[in-house]
Amino acid sequence: MKKNTILFLVVIACFLGIFLFYPILYILRESFLPQGNFSLAYFRNILSNPATRTAMANSFWLSVATTLVTALLAIPLALLMTRFRFPGKTLLGGLLMVPMIMPPFVGAIGMRQLLARFGSINLLLLEGGLVATPIDWLGSARFWGVVIVEALHLYPIFYLNASAALANVEPALEEAALNLGSGRMSAFRRVTLPLMMPGLFAGAILVALWSFTDLGTPLIFEYRNVMAVQIFDRTTDLSDNPEGHALVVLMLIITTAIFLTSKKFFGTKGYETIGKGGTGASEKTLGPLGGFAAMAAVGGVVLIACLPHLAVVLTSIREKWFMTVLPESYTALYYVKALGHDLTLPSIKNSILLSAMSMGVDIVLGVAVAYLLARRRFRGIDLLDAAVMLPLAIPGLVLAFGYLACFAGTVLDPRINPMPLLVIAYSVRRLPYTVRTAYGGFLQISQSLEEAAINLGSSAFRTMRKVTLPLISANIIAGAILAFSFAMLEVSESLVLAVKEQYFPITKAIYQLMARIEDGPFMASALGVWSMAFLAVSLLIAGVLLGRKMGQLFRV
Amino acid sequence: MENITLKNVTKRFGKTTAVDNVSLEIKAGSLFFLLGPSGCGKTTLLRMVAGFCEVEEGDIFFGGSSVKTVPPGKRNTALVFQNYALWPHLNVHRNVAYGLEERRVPPGEIRARVREALASVRMEEYEFRKPNELSGGQQQRVALARALVVKPDAVLLDEPLSNLDARLRMEMREEIRRIHDETGVTMIYVTHDQKEALTMADEIAVMSMGRVEQIGAPQEIYRSPANIFVATFLGDANLIQGELIERIGPFGMIRTPLGVFTGRLADPNMRGGDAACCMVRPENLRLSGAGENRLPVIIKNTVFLGEAQQYLLQAGSVSLKALAVGSADGVVKGKQAEAAFTAADALLLPAEGEGCA
Repeated sequence: MKKNTILFLVVIACFLGIFLFYPILYILRESFLPQGNFSLAYFRNILSNPATRTAMANSFWLSVATTLVTALLAIPLALLMTRFRFPGKTLLGGLLMVPMIMPPFVGAIGMRQLLARFGSINLLLLEGGLVATPIDWLGSARFWGVVIVEALHLYPIFYLNASAALANVEPALEEAALNLGSGRMSAFRRVTLPLMMPGLFAGAILVALWSFTDLGTPLIFEYRNVMAVQIFDRTTDLSDNPEGHALVVLMLIITTAIFLTSKKFFGTKGYETIGKGGTGASEKTLGPLGGFAAMAAVGGVVLIACLPHLAVVLTSIREKWFMTVLPESYTALYYVKALGHDLTLPSIKNSILLSAMSMGVDIVLGVAVAYLLARRRFRGIDLLDAAVMLPLAIPGLVLAFGYLACFAGTVLDPRINPMPLLVIAYSVRRLPYTVRTAYGGFLQISQSLEEAAINLGSSAFRTMRKVTLPLISANIIAGAILAFSFAMLEVSESLVLAVKEQYFPITKAIYQLMARIEDGPFMASALGVWSMAFLAVSLLIAGVLLGRKMGQLFRV
Repeated sequence: MENITLKNVTKRFGKTTAVDNVSLEIKAGSLFFLLGPSGCGKTTLLRMVAGFCEVEEGDIFFGGSSVKTVPPGKRNTALVFQNYALWPHLNVHRNVAYGLEERRVPPGEIRARVREALASVRMEEYEFRKPNELSGGQQQRVALARALVVKPDAVLLDEPLSNLDARLRMEMREEIRRIHDETGVTMIYVTHDQKEALTMADEIAVMSMGRVEQIGAPQEIYRSPANIFVATFLGDANLIQGELIERIGPFGMIRTPLGVFTGRLADPNMRGGDAACCMVRPENLRLSGAGENRLPVIIKNTVFLGEAQQYLLQAGSVSLKALAVGSADGVVKGKQAEAAFTAADALLLPAEGEGCA
């Protein structure tokens, strides 16, 4: 191994060791070894407390329900989009991705307005005679409110996995089944579906983990009795009440269990089914009636999925909106007011600064790790691969909680200045994305291009700078934009770590604005629209740079 | 089992005509080849027989009944795919059993028939392997077993050997021929490999640009190609352009820049004065020996092919090839020689368009 490689491995090991493994180990120690002695007392307390038991059950069912609803939306969509050709398909395919550009946290604010007792949805249901009395979405039915918002946000991830899985099933395999006497349904059930399974489960796991640990949506819906909110509530009295640690450990155990069992049972590496002589997926053109039906179905999903976002926009510009489906009059007042608020401008400045810095960290580490993974062979390379991918499985809430606990009283104490830890928290959790995009780039360019430069007398470093990096610049930029934009709208870490108002990032400012008695939701929505527009633009750029490979980023 | 008949079948993809008014009669129990360069429509034709491609014009009959509206699964054909299309999530046994399960065959009989089918392709020992644990040749055998086990009316093979290496390809040719002869099942075999077609087929349909150029037994097509395309696509051919002078029964005389030659007429409708090509296979062009047709040549080069010797010849402005088993004495590079071929070995083909090339 070269000296530089060793040096870098030490750096990355320290980085991940201090900021990924240490906080988790710290929480583990605090909860299992409270005073240096092994004890399960905290766990006994938590598990015997009916409130936390309900919270665990709620989180679990929330995650199950969200995953099911997401699957029901995404699988038919994937079938429709990969198997058939119909008018408007390209445009609709793009629009299907739109929900991803908003954290459900912001969408939830808009959704609250629509789902209010006399909000647009209940009014429509009443007018249509579908219900006799308004559904209490924000009260007794708020579980489903949270599920709807999360599912509408998460289905693109499932959809991308499902359609990639479907596209990877060699059409000849299905034809072979049809040829041997299967009907369409039977061929799908016996051949296509089993072959899609690894992809479907990859999508399902991402959705399940995400909704299990999501903090923002339940907070906005005031569905407080879920694990994420319970943990969040305990961040304020960390030192006096170590039960929070145990709760975090429980969450970590459950998510790891979900992750590992699914990997074990369904995560078989997937089938390489497109072989030599493969024809690639063939699309069937639908007739006018079928085409219209397909268009209406996909368009309907897009419309429904855009509802929260639309509602955020409407909420931010409404002047009078009561007992009507759409607002009666509009105003730009809240945009102006939002910009004028003490919290707003500093929070935008903070977010940009934080995101830019974490993006920088991610690019440097990500490209270097990707280079090692793609171009070097050394012992422990699999370990490095696993370690940098691990943050995908660690909920932001767990990491943030760990930081708060283990760096208290040090120079990094977030209660004094959370900026360094926020940068690190953002970059640790987005590192897998930049590693993946850059790694993809390295694999695409033939090593012989680099060897040609070295052969002509270029040093390894110059080769990197003059040949390799320019060739993979699109991948790097795309990874960077992803890291940047996800950092901009990160919820759980921001909410937990940013304690002082002067250090609030946008998301925490939105959360704080929500709490204003009089015009809270409208101000929050206005700020949400700003951030939405921001994220839309950055994802658009990333999408253009990455082309069709965008989908590969969101697969386990 | 019944004959398979294609009547005036046409298929268009947008503006391109993939299959152009094809009519064929495939005899029950024969090993029938669709041969042609890539893009000639042979695979499309096969997929139409299987039911994966809609028949827009014309009709396809199994025996006396049209299968135009019969879905793929009800036609009782069995496709062998170019890439085998073995289901990676099922083991060899389950792959082979699939078609029987769809046909609601009782489990006990399924087990027996799967064993039998695997035995017929000599894959009994691999029954419980997954497809990705098999070599290409083994996968090929399983794909064959999966097709044969359902006792189909026709086995349809789509370039089945193109993914195998040369040695295995030779072995599988004999194997498929053996299986065909043992089972007596009708097989329609698509390939672009003329050697494969010539060595295996009962009958060959040569296709080009969506049309059938000629149908016949291998020897017939090789010896008496109907036109220049077939002559050059199957095997090597020397072509000498000229003009037909006169007809003498089934023979004709052609005037070429290299002399006047006599040969068989490919088309009885050819008339004196028509542009024509004289076609001679290299193995029939001899540098020593008899033949009514003689011409002076310069030996430009000799190429050792192993089992034979190839001579590259120049006669006027025409390049010719001759092939001889063993070495001809006194044939030295750069020397003049006299080449000869018999009238029976020469075929006079109608010239198309610009001529012979």
